[in-house]
Amino acid sequence: MFQIHCPHCGATREEEEFSYAGEAYIARPANPEEASDAEWGDYLFMRKNTRGWFWEQWQHTAGCRKVIAVKRHTGSYEIAGSWTLAEGKEHYLKESEA
Amino acid sequence: MPNFQPYLQSPLVNFNLPAQTVPAEASQKVRANELPLMGYIVLRGELADTAVAQAITKATGLAVPTACRFSSGDAGVLIWQSPDECLLVTARNYVPALLAACTEAFAGLFAQAVDNSGGLTTVYLSGVEHVTLLRHLGVYDFESVTPGDVASTVLGKAGALVCRVDGDGVFLVIRRSFADYLWLLITKAATPYRFAVAKLPAAGKSPFLRLVDAGSPAKRPVAA
Ligand SMILES: [Zn+2]
Repeated sequence: MFQIHCPHCGATREEEEFSYAGEAYIARPANPEEASDAEWGDYLFMRKNTRGWFWEQWQHTAGCRKVIAVKRHTGSYEIAGSWTLAEGKEHYLKESEA
Repeated sequence: MPNFQPYLQSPLVNFNLPAQTVPAEASQKVRANELPLMGYIVLRGELADTAVAQAITKATGLAVPTACRFSSGDAGVLIWQSPDECLLVTARNYVPALLAACTEAFAGLFAQAVDNSGGLTTVYLSGVEHVTLLRHLGVYDFESVTPGDVASTVLGKAGALVCRVDGDGVFLVIRRSFADYLWLLITKAATPYRFAVAKLPAAGKSPFLRLVDAGSPAKRPVAA
């Protein structure tokens, strides 16, 4: 069990208050009509399953009910930080560029 | 037309709390009782938007609370739930007028007021060991809930809003559908603490207790 900081509530709460909501920032194909079946299948079903630092979504179901972005190490469970989806995306994009 | 006669009853009606209620005494280390049949209005809208915040204040006379806090006044208690949601706990009799006032104030805004009076109820939990009892029920750091704070968390398997007005006790705003489960959980966990279904304290200035005295339509027959 771990604790997650909710940027909306401004509070650090137990994992029990949250629900896991999968990998964060999966980009939807810009033009679904023209996406190939493989691209669409990737978008719908393929996930990274990283061992290491991973950007994921958690929903504060027992609190504000907002979905937030969390950067967590899937091996050690260490949490680097949590952000609103919009704020987290900036960090995420900066990292993906690097 | 079938003879459909809706009637109003507390979700805890089967526990017959009024018949079990005894006077409050110091020997009861945990006490609880229901504040039945109050009014609950959900207010949705971006609270950071000044137009929305002003409309809420105009309609209810209450200040929009900051995160994890509540404000109170004549209309009742306004509880922060999320950056775009507040819950107004009020007297059942006040609901129609407040709902109309909110709908009028929200005209032209991306905001909405919805009556959820059928979905929630409130339990007052007090006694010297009431925080110990909360620790049995949930993982939240309950001693950190100070007057004016609200913790939206889980008790057992059910969600609850834990609101503290003063050091004597907390008001638990819970779902109707889980009221039965939570009441059983509270009474069972409270057994070692000389639990009693105690008479609610005199309302005085308490923003929650005053709402019970303000009356509910249950006290008069429901028109067919
Ligand atoms: Zn939250």
